[in-house]
Amino acid sequence: MLLSACAAAGVGTGLVGKRFQSLALAKHTIPISDLGNRDVFTSCGMCVNKCGVIARVRNGVIEKLDPNPHFLKSRGMLCARGNAGIDAVYSPDRLKHPMIRTGKRGEGKFRRATWDEALDLVVKNLSNLADKYTRAGTVFVSTEGFQEHFFTTFAECYGSPNTLRHPSLCLASNIQGFGATYGTNPTPDVLNADYIIMSGANRSEALVTPDSIDMLTGDGGRRKLVYLDPRFTKTAAKADEWFPIRPGTDMAFILAMINVVVKENLYNHKVVEKQTVGFDKLVPHIETYTPEWAATKCEIPAADIRRIAREFAMAAPKAVYYQGRRSSFFDNDTQMRRAMAILNAVVGNWDTKGGMVPNSRIPLQGHEYVAPYYEDVPDRLENGTASYLSEKDGSWKYFRDRVLEGKPYPVKGMMVYKQNPLVSVANRGKTLKMMEQMEFICTIDITMNDTAYYSDVILPEATYLEREDPIESLGGILPMVVWREPVIKPMYESRSNLWIIQQLAKRMGDEIYASFNFTMKEYREHQTKNNPEILKVLKEKGVYYEKETPTYGTTLGKKLRTRSGKIEIYSEKYAKKGLDPLPVYNDPTNGSTGQYRLILGRNAYMTHGTTANNAYLSELMPENHIWLHSSEAKKKGFRDGQMVKVKSPIATEMLRLQVTEKIRPDCVYLSHGFGVLSRGQSRIFGKGGSDAALIEDKVEPISGNMAMHQTFVDITSI
Amino acid sequence: MKKKRFAMVLDTRKCIDCKACTIACKTENHIPLIEDNYRNWVMEEPLRGKYPRLGQSFTPGQCMQCSNPPCERVCPTSATYVNGDGVVLVDDKKCIGCKYCITACPYDARFYNEEIGAVDKCTFCIQRIYKGRLPACVETCPTKVRVFGDLNDPDSDVSRLLRKYPHRVKKPEIGTQPSLFYLM
Amino acid sequence: MTAITKNFRNIIGFSLLGAGMLIGLIAVGYVLMVGHSHAYNLTREIPWGILISTYVFFAVSCSGLCLVSSLGHVFGVQEFEVIGKRAILVAILTLLTGFGVIAMELNHPFRMAIWVILSPNLSSAIWWMGTLYGLYLVLLCIELYAFMTEKHRLASMVGLIGFMVAISACSNLGAVFGLLDARPFWHGAYLPIFFILSAFVSGSALLALIIYFNHSLRGMEMPPQYKNLMITLGRLQALFLGILIFFVVWRTIPGLYAKHTGIYEATTATVSGNLSTNFWFFKVLIGLAIPFFLLVNRSTRTPFGVMSAGLLTTVGIFFMRYDMVIAGQIVPMRPLHQNAATDILHYIPSAAEMGIVIGSVCACLFFYVLIERRFDLNPIEHK
Repeated sequence: MLLSACAAAGVGTGLVGKRFQSLALAKHTIPISDLGNRDVFTSCGMCVNKCGVIARVRNGVIEKLDPNPHFLKSRGMLCARGNAGIDAVYSPDRLKHPMIRTGKRGEGKFRRATWDEALDLVVKNLSNLADKYTRAGTVFVSTEGFQEHFFTTFAECYGSPNTLRHPSLCLASNIQGFGATYGTNPTPDVLNADYIIMSGANRSEALVTPDSIDMLTGDGGRRKLVYLDPRFTKTAAKADEWFPIRPGTDMAFILAMINVVVKENLYNHKVVEKQTVGFDKLVPHIETYTPEWAATKCEIPAADIRRIAREFAMAAPKAVYYQGRRSSFFDNDTQMRRAMAILNAVVGNWDTKGGMVPNSRIPLQGHEYVAPYYEDVPDRLENGTASYLSEKDGSWKYFRDRVLEGKPYPVKGMMVYKQNPLVSVANRGKTLKMMEQMEFICTIDITMNDTAYYSDVILPEATYLEREDPIESLGGILPMVVWREPVIKPMYESRSNLWIIQQLAKRMGDEIYASFNFTMKEYREHQTKNNPEILKVLKEKGVYYEKETPTYGTTLGKKLRTRSGKIEIYSEKYAKKGLDPLPVYNDPTNGSTGQYRLILGRNAYMTHGTTANNAYLSELMPENHIWLHSSEAKKKGFRDGQMVKVKSPIATEMLRLQVTEKIRPDCVYLSHGFGVLSRGQSRIFGKGGSDAALIEDKVEPISGNMAMHQTFVDITSI
Repeated sequence: MKKKRFAMVLDTRKCIDCKACTIACKTENHIPLIEDNYRNWVMEEPLRGKYPRLGQSFTPGQCMQCSNPPCERVCPTSATYVNGDGVVLVDDKKCIGCKYCITACPYDARFYNEEIGAVDKCTFCIQRIYKGRLPACVETCPTKVRVFGDLNDPDSDVSRLLRKYPHRVKKPEIGTQPSLFYLM
Repeated sequence: MTAITKNFRNIIGFSLLGAGMLIGLIAVGYVLMVGHSHAYNLTREIPWGILISTYVFFAVSCSGLCLVSSLGHVFGVQEFEVIGKRAILVAILTLLTGFGVIAMELNHPFRMAIWVILSPNLSSAIWWMGTLYGLYLVLLCIELYAFMTEKHRLASMVGLIGFMVAISACSNLGAVFGLLDARPFWHGAYLPIFFILSAFVSGSALLALIIYFNHSLRGMEMPPQYKNLMITLGRLQALFLGILIFFVVWRTIPGLYAKHTGIYEATTATVSGNLSTNFWFFKVLIGLAIPFFLLVNRSTRTPFGVMSAGLLTTVGIFFMRYDMVIAGQIVPMRPLHQNAATDILHYIPSAAEMGIVIGSVCACLFFYVLIERRFDLNPIEHK
């Protein structure tokens, strides 16, 4: 049979061809480092949790990332992103060499440059900018990481007061609200709490160790999880009760809870008397904030509010109102967090098992450096905007506005480390304008993300699996010390941030270089000078603990870091600043009819805007969709899966519709990190829509935190 | 030495559908990143109830390592076989790609892997379990949904869990006798 | 028919067949270059597509030709003796074509030859399928040899064994699907039995086509014995079709009656879903109803009518095989989308798959016509 014979002959050659094809695709043809076969203790860098990892290297290739069983905070686990970290190293899209822009900004045209050329160019520009605009004329943008410190220290040595970090996009309001009450932002002891109320903290998707794990332990019965969220998230599926709370009304719920707890005499008298000030002022203040009143605001039945308040108080002190992390929702977030803190305080859960526990930290010797003195350098650009502006973190909203205004002084230089403002800051249009007016932009990163794409010089950092990082002391209720060891040698021409900063410093002069003139080994020995045991344990176990269970009650009987030394239910300091000393409820703004509030959130397999292009993770979520409630879709005649136009006051994005019952009918939701501008992110370019483009930059004025749930959109067919 | 009977017990109350197990499996077992190529999965069960009273569960799954496996019966070249400890395996060199085992599997646990030129499926990470380690999915799961062990050992975690709690398997009516047990 | 028009028709005919074969070759080449996963629209949920259904079509046709022609040289029905040689030849051709199609479906056809012998699995219906059809092919070749060399006793003996093997192989092929309890639409005793019946239907239909086209394409008048055979075939086919219709009805009703998960969705897809055109138009109308009425009516039961019925039935049966294979897989083993309690999967053959099917059909026809011209397949009178 002719056909059979052909088939026979061809199959043979086909088989051989396929073998070669698959070998070529395997990682084994990528340049192999010579670290042979080993298992390396290191810390994951795919998100903020820094879980302990044991990296398995075989034949110089990272084969698998396994969890470090010694790492208590992660309870010995590694999530989807942690496992996918391999692609951060081997992705063909990662930055390989220093690049210098050749085309127009945003065209994506770059040429490869040597390190020397690129570094020289950076320093030349920094010097020029210093001359033209003073040292404050360059902003240093970064986000947390084990090597971020070198970047911000460099900024200090350079002489710029303008370091801009992520807290004003994230948890600044939380820090402020809880800090004003307790003097610190405590951690809820989820493992031992019997009653947990989470509002807006989607712990089953926005993974924070160990809370995401601990909230589910506790063999049914005693533990109860109440969850408030406009969306039926995975946390809602795990919670005992879920309420689709009306966005922006959490404060009403909390105040009503306080009302019940106070009026029904369920508060902890002893704690209130001994540990707090201002309770007497609280009582008349919450008089009108009844559950019946709150029910009209937050759309949770009054009977439920009352019941939950009672259950909460009964379970106290092993009850927490979980404040979560991100607090970039509304322009009243700080005051709302204040209300949360007050509620926690009056049920007496401060610094006790199952309650709100202040963080502690294992001390390390700090980096000893001397920043030169510069004359005539003005203060932070956005001084005087937020009531309590962090000197180190700043406020993106106010800073960017002032840069665009050019007042009180121009900022024309931008150095970026590990941060991607074009994706992570609301109102992408404004960020683009801000960057456009910069005379020089340099980004240090590992991928060609949007911000790198719009830069003038790009410097490739080695990924977390290739770096030897400083020892890091992670604070919390269970403090620990971690590190990073290189799993393989840095690929291509990537280098650690320390090396980059050292090279820049060298070119800026001996005075500055002196602050960075050490090897990482020397630095680590310096850090652990007072406790060399740390290094030893890190080598054996990958993580260092001094205790395996939290310590409670360390602050009891002592003064807190507040003006009164006690828990401040009534905030004198706010009163003096002309702010509400006790939280006052205001209704959130409404959109026009037919509009939807755009809300944001997380997935367990994406980290903010950074991992969408990861080969393993993008398979799980190739693009983002916009969620719309089925009743609304029916009304407007939309079908599941169709493309729609999403129009906000500042931008329009095209997105695919996902019709679902898992969201309030007056809200829409989309995942973060898509709709990118960079062609260098080959898996996701052209897919999905950008939330950063759509969201307006409203702000919470006390902390300067961005308020990102106050944008209303219209949805129409294309 | 007494034979083992490897099994896995899953507590889906804890599953948050974070997909860690799927990624761990893909990296551990070098699964090609192509559609259809996966050894395990997490299913989002249909929503229960109507808004705003909703509920939902998440169910991980993979090859059930049946004691009475239909895939083994139908393989013409005996490429699919069960090893002494109850793990259903595929001998790559004998697989002809007829895909009979794929149609025979009631759980959609198998797929044809072009890179190895054979049918592929969960092997309980056979390269790990004989070295005293757990399957990758078990080790990596954040909320410890999965427990792995030897059913022939009455003191193992899996044996204890199955004694203590009622449990079910998928499609019991077919009679495949899966080794993956879901606590109820 | 003038010589010129005859030549012209020859050229057109062979060119079409040649073009079809070329399409097949291109498809085969494409598949070997890019691999199965890129060339075929098969997935892990639907791993058996049109290539399997085409193989089934050829294999059952082969069995059917043998079964019907056995009426002649095995069971001694005089009228059928004339087509013995031809029937066996076409049976061999269709089986070889079927094997060719399967070779493109398997990822490692060569390994099969080695390992089914070295490590057989006797509980595997596919192992038996390979063994039985392999044995069957050998028997067919011996039978053909017996016919060509006029060894009638050998032909009868081998024919009898072949008949039994054909029954086993064909019903076993049904059992390949019927033994899978994971697939409720296929599972059970029905398919093995149904395959035998449909083999008879296929065989009769193909025989009618062979007889008619062999004479009309050669421009020859059909001798009376062939004409009578056609009529008898027509009556026989009417009976077979009647039984087949009965089977199809009693397959469809239970499928819809109790709404049993797995069977119900597959049946509704066949009857009113995305396989419904195949079902109603091709299978029922063209494959069963029209042929049945053509054959039942004495006025239309002419050689031409019988041939037409045969052609329609063959087409209808091709779609019937396709429906059976696909319907059994479109209900997923676990729900794949969160919104649907049960969803239906979709499958459309890719260009490469269609190419191979077209190529295989054309190749089979091409070689049949070629062999007809070279060899004399008419029986010599018995002494």
